[in-house]
Amino acid sequence: MSGRTSLFVQRELAGSLRARWFLAYAAIFLLAGVLLTTFGLADSAIHGYRGFAKAFAGLVHLALLFVPLMALFPATAAIAEDRESGALEYVLAQPVTFGEVYAGKWGGVGVAVVLALTVGFGAAGGVAVLRGVPPGLVALLYLFVLLLAMGFVSLGLCFSTIAHSRARATTMGILTWLVLVALGTLGVMVAFVRWGLPASVLIVWSFVNPIEAFRIGVVCAIDPDLSLLGPVGADIVQSLGSGGTVALAGVSLLAWAVVPGLIGWRLFRRVR
Amino acid sequence: MIRATGLSKRFGDARVLDGVDLTVRQGERVALLGLNGAGKTTLMRCLLGLIPFDGGLAVAGLDVRTRGREVRSRLGYVPQRAPHFDGTLEEIVDFFARLRGADPAAVAGGLASLGLDLAEHGRKPVRTLSGGMLQKVLLALALGADVPLLLLDEPTANLDPRARLEFLRALKQVGADTTVLLASHRLTDVAAVADRLLVLHGGAIAFDGSLTDLWRRVGAAQTLWVKLPTGDRDAARRYLEERCRLTALRGNGAALGVKVEHHARADVLVELRGAGFTVEDFWTETPSLHDLLENAMRPPEGA
Repeated sequence: MSGRTSLFVQRELAGSLRARWFLAYAAIFLLAGVLLTTFGLADSAIHGYRGFAKAFAGLVHLALLFVPLMALFPATAAIAEDRESGALEYVLAQPVTFGEVYAGKWGGVGVAVVLALTVGFGAAGGVAVLRGVPPGLVALLYLFVLLLAMGFVSLGLCFSTIAHSRARATTMGILTWLVLVALGTLGVMVAFVRWGLPASVLIVWSFVNPIEAFRIGVVCAIDPDLSLLGPVGADIVQSLGSGGTVALAGVSLLAWAVVPGLIGWRLFRRVR
Repeated sequence: MIRATGLSKRFGDARVLDGVDLTVRQGERVALLGLNGAGKTTLMRCLLGLIPFDGGLAVAGLDVRTRGREVRSRLGYVPQRAPHFDGTLEEIVDFFARLRGADPAAVAGGLASLGLDLAEHGRKPVRTLSGGMLQKVLLALALGADVPLLLLDEPTANLDPRARLEFLRALKQVGADTTVLLASHRLTDVAAVADRLLVLHGGAIAFDGSLTDLWRRVGAAQTLWVKLPTGDRDAARRYLEERCRLTALRGNGAALGVKVEHHARADVLVELRGAGFTVEDFWTETPSLHDLLENAMRPPEGA
């Protein structure tokens, strides 16, 4: 990383951590995660591993609700807000390249989101480990949470590049998130029942969607037999096996963490 | 310092720059003039490498298209409107100074010489600073890295009169080796800073010369107000109309307004003094830069 890129990373990081809503969001995630894990895992004393798995699945759904929005807000603001205020043109008039500015914004927002999630998830994960959840499972969930977050950072940055205002970029981000949620379990089931799409199409559909890929990957890692997987998820696990499902979900999330960001970088150079 | 050959830029169907050829030597103070939409800001943005363009453009011998970062490291830029930054003044100064490879202490020193003490204002959020203060910050940042070229895009457009004067005063302190390219709509700014004027019109350079040359070319008449003793006013009016064939405009209290071309102002005063009139005071009312440019763009009579 060049010295100039690292300057942008530091500045973006400072800006994100200064934003009150970002800190509030991180605090709520921390609190909700710890409460859910603490009280959810108390149930496991009665219901054994199934009880723990259900409690942990709650943490998964909490992540699905919080993580994308937590990543989208600072990412969609990163470039669009500077363009709106005139700061972007002034920054680009300095001895920097478009790539350094973009990479700095990407890195800065990414580090801020990862830090906030590490604090929130670290506390919840710590409680889970203390209550007997295997550390490897907690680490896997943490990795998937980070990948999901980076996917939405990448997507948000791409929207931030093409939108003329922060409000528009954020709206694009939230609408996309809503569409992805709608196309998740519910969308797959509707497609399955209404159009009778073959399993191979539904597998692709599920793994192309980062929300669904995260859900299936993590739930499968916790308990492949869990009813939370849904009929399509169960079918996927049957086809690919537990390890294959988790690996494919990881690859999908990794692609989301990289590809939209690269598209945004290309667009950033073009729409300057 | 700047060399453009066949520089062209289109926005959709609109050709904003159309084969501009231009050379600016080191140390020159050049004003870039033109009506709204003439392409002044577009030319600046081309120089900064912010937009793609056709033709050749080099700064200090470096191709803007392929060596943009090196070009930008050799120039300081002050935009028309100071952008809104997050953070305190101290943070912004530190960030941009480090980005430019300048010493933050040198920028702070520059700010102090512009009347902005970082020790006093450094903790203030940038959003709370006035437009004049921000423009001074940007000028200090531009000067802090000791660059050979300053690009100023209507830097005083949003300043109040006092801030504008302070900005122009600061600009006069710029070293003689520094090349200045100033886009402006204000004749006073141009007169204070530039010794060469470039008028952009129809995507090309329509005029290249000094302010005096421009006055001469457009033949723009100014109003010279001459204050005379009350009893002399009518006699002086008749004298100017009959002997000098000048149109004496109107009286304004004890003053007499005379339409006269820029280069002939002194002649009127000499004529009046020579005829025995006592000139108590005089001043000139200049047309706006907009009027001047409209005249300059008008094709010569008979063309």
